[in-house]
Amino acid sequence: MESELSEETALRSQFTVDDLDIEILPLIYEIIRSVEKDPHDTTQKAKESQDTSHKILELQKKLDSARAQIKKLPGIEYSKEEQLQKLETLRKQLRLKRELLLKYRNMCTFEVPKV
Amino acid sequence: MASTGKSTREVLLSIVDDIELIAKEMIENTIVQKPLKLSNEEHAQLTELLITKDNEFKSVLKRAAEQAKINLKMEALKAEVERQDQDIQQLQRQLKEAEQILATAIYQAKQKLQSIARANKRPVPSEELIKYAHRISASNAICAPLTWQQGDPRRPYPTDIEMRLGYLGRLSDLPLNGQMPGTHPGISSDLHRTGHPVGEPPVSQANQFAWHSSGEIHMSVSGQGSVAMNTHKQETEDVEVMSTDSSSSSSSDSQ
Repeated sequence: MESELSEETALRSQFTVDDLDIEILPLIYEIIRSVEKDPHDTTQKAKESQDTSHKILELQKKLDSARAQIKKLPGIEYSKEEQLQKLETLRKQLRLKRELLLKYRNMCTFEVPKV
Repeated sequence: MASTGKSTREVLLSIVDDIELIAKEMIENTIVQKPLKLSNEEHAQLTELLITKDNEFKSVLKRAAEQAKINLKMEALKAEVERQDQDIQQLQRQLKEAEQILATAIYQAKQKLQSIARANKRPVPSEELIKYAHRISASNAICAPLTWQQGDPRRPYPTDIEMRLGYLGRLSDLPLNGQMPGTHPGISSDLHRTGHPVGEPPVSQANQFAWHSSGEIHMSVSGQGSVAMNTHKQETEDVEVMSTDSSSSSSSDSQ
């Protein structure tokens, strides 16, 4: 289980927000521009429409890949507030455990019975 | 921006969905026939929406990056908690062990204290103890076999009484009794046994003294039985030389 966890963290640390490749707006702009060009030449028109459909497909792909990448992002299972709350809970847990350990360690003061 | 209770991942995905929808709307709008087209104003609104969505997307991504950092911290904390857990468990195990050991020790100590208290209540004088030890060693041998336990009727060696009852004991008794008819009946058979087998030289046989309860010393001479010391003083001069201090002193007393 531990190895699985470390593997998971390794996989996560490999992928961060900086690695994301999600630029959608330029693609949309491209598509709209190519549609609005509307050339008069028929051969040009056919080629242009093919190009546009290709770009639309690309956009679709881009969106799908964006979704996939978002799913791979680490640490966003919760909203930030929840996450901070959980962090606080963990800190509290750790503190309590440390206190318990200290208590155990200082507990062993024996009273010598007087005979 | 993000509603609480919704995970950041869900927010991001929903923004992507929104962007997709807006883009679709815009592209369709460009293709559609002129009369059905949206007004410029509407188009501008749509574009505005797309841009805000994109900005939102970027800010949420920034937050996701922060969350990734927090996540790292959380994992470190989790590992730490795990370690503390193990420590606690180990400590608990050790405490339990110590408790068991101490409980046993206390139980034993209490038993010892009880027996000490019992001994203090009824003290036994050392004289009596030694007497009792004598009695035990008289009727039993000193050392028990290794496996011997309390209540075992076995004795490690034949006791003195058992020895005397045996064949060897009687064998050494018989000839002496036959040769010395006048032997005093009060003489302990011990002396006969440890003393003299048949056929020893008369000198050493004449040297035999026996204590009686009365304190009188008798000397046994072979063939003549035991005679009182004072009557034979002159005859047994050589005997007196070899006799013990006590016998000589007693003989001189009697003179």
